[in-house]
Amino acid sequence: MNAVDTPPKKEMYAALAKELGIVDPWIEQGGVHWLNPGALSVRDLAKGMNAVQARFVTITTTQMPGDTGFRLEYHWDLDGQLLGFPYLISGKSIESIYDLCEAVNWIERETHEGFALDFTGREYEPLLLRQGETPGVNLRDAVAVSDAVAVSEVKK
Amino acid sequence: MSYKIPMGPYHPALEEPYKLDLICEGETVSDAKLHIGFNFRGIEHLAESRNYIQVIALMERVCGICSNIHTLTLCQAMEKLTGLTPPPRAQYIRVVIAELERLHSHVLWAGIAAKLMGFKTMFMTCFELREKVMDILQAISGNRVNYSMNRIGGVNRDIEDPLAVLAMVEALEREMVRTVIPIFTTSTTAISRCAGIGVLTREKAVSCGAVGPVARASGLPQDLRRAAPYAAYAEMEFDVPVQQGGDVKARLLVRALEIMESCKILRQALTKMPPGELNAGESKVVFSTGTATSRVEAPRGEVMYSVSWKESSRNPSRVHVRTPTFANMPAIRYMVIGARLADTPLIQASIDPCYSCTDR
Repeated sequence: MNAVDTPPKKEMYAALAKELGIVDPWIEQGGVHWLNPGALSVRDLAKGMNAVQARFVTITTTQMPGDTGFRLEYHWDLDGQLLGFPYLISGKSIESIYDLCEAVNWIERETHEGFALDFTGREYEPLLLRQGETPGVNLRDAVAVSDAVAVSEVKK
Repeated sequence: MSYKIPMGPYHPALEEPYKLDLICEGETVSDAKLHIGFNFRGIEHLAESRNYIQVIALMERVCGICSNIHTLTLCQAMEKLTGLTPPPRAQYIRVVIAELERLHSHVLWAGIAAKLMGFKTMFMTCFELREKVMDILQAISGNRVNYSMNRIGGVNRDIEDPLAVLAMVEALEREMVRTVIPIFTTSTTAISRCAGIGVLTREKAVSCGAVGPVARASGLPQDLRRAAPYAAYAEMEFDVPVQQGGDVKARLLVRALEIMESCKILRQALTKMPPGELNAGESKVVFSTGTATSRVEAPRGEVMYSVSWKESSRNPSRVHVRTPTFANMPAIRYMVIGARLADTPLIQASIDPCYSCTDR
């Protein structure tokens, strides 16, 4: 884990963090410049990213162990550098940014249908991943792979 | 009076598991809705039950065209978690395979586009050329689809005689210059079917988050090989073709010019390939706890892998894949609005969509 230290980039990132009202330092780890958003809402983050003309890349969602919530990593590209903003949520909802960033549409829908997470403030169009009338089913719970052959091979 | 025409999930004009609901006023499309997920495979979830060798084989099957790109991106992410660095020769081999795959993908797309234009002769010409690219890939890897070239810390196979491969690439380049590119860029048949249709404005490309040739054909000069070089791309000289038109013709021109740039990169990589080892040579791979991300410029645009691992675990705890078609497909809606119904198959094909990637 390294603090971001390239001088020109450092100034740019510091200005961006200040613009977003975040005091924590940027951390470079695993190919991403991470910034803890703290109390910054995901909608304010999206507005800030739009203001600097960053390009939305994706949301990576991870279900925390023991059904304790989710970690959503919002990834944006700024001049070829991948930025990451992790949000930990204990419930099953987070504000949608679809009205602020059109590019987020499909990944919000996919996350909704794959993890049963609700992105509040938006409507969901017909299902992407599943047939049927019930949107928002946690596919990881619905389709367990614990008895898959590959798992037993791994345990050997 | 408006009426809805469903196109897909399997349709003579759209031979893929994907659906376009076209709202038409007469012959003009006034709106469209897209539906995917007909062959959703849950590969990200499956990856969580695979060890670090199995997960490479699994992810190679995300896409049938750019299979190498998926293992390259995955391995680059896993290398960040293991601290393994591929030796220089492996980095060059990765560039060679990635560019051959781009050639294969672009020529295949050109053939399909020609078919949709009603230009069957060109379709046959492109597929003949595609065979030559696949012959090169087969000569290197022994395989025509899933090349199994990448591993954590390097590559599995050497290019033992780079100059022999270079001769094959140069023969291919001559044929491209002699037939494919002139016909696609000057033929009345091609131009009349492509110019001014399926326009994606620069503003819409930005708001949709378009990537790859689709973005570059709408005036956005983004290319990860230049903006965030990986493998040996920092040592390659090449141009990033950009067009401003945003129409099918612009997307065609960008890919045609990228074919030439790929040949340029291949020539450099094959002649400058350094001697040395093929991989880091670790008999046991040890992961540290954390998340690592890698991005690669695939033929269709940016691919991103985010891989999470827990130390001492044999399986990843999460593998997330963002494929280029997943980013580009929503833009089809804006491309077909105002278009003639008869142009919609070519317009949707102009993003070079990969449903296998999208329904990963």
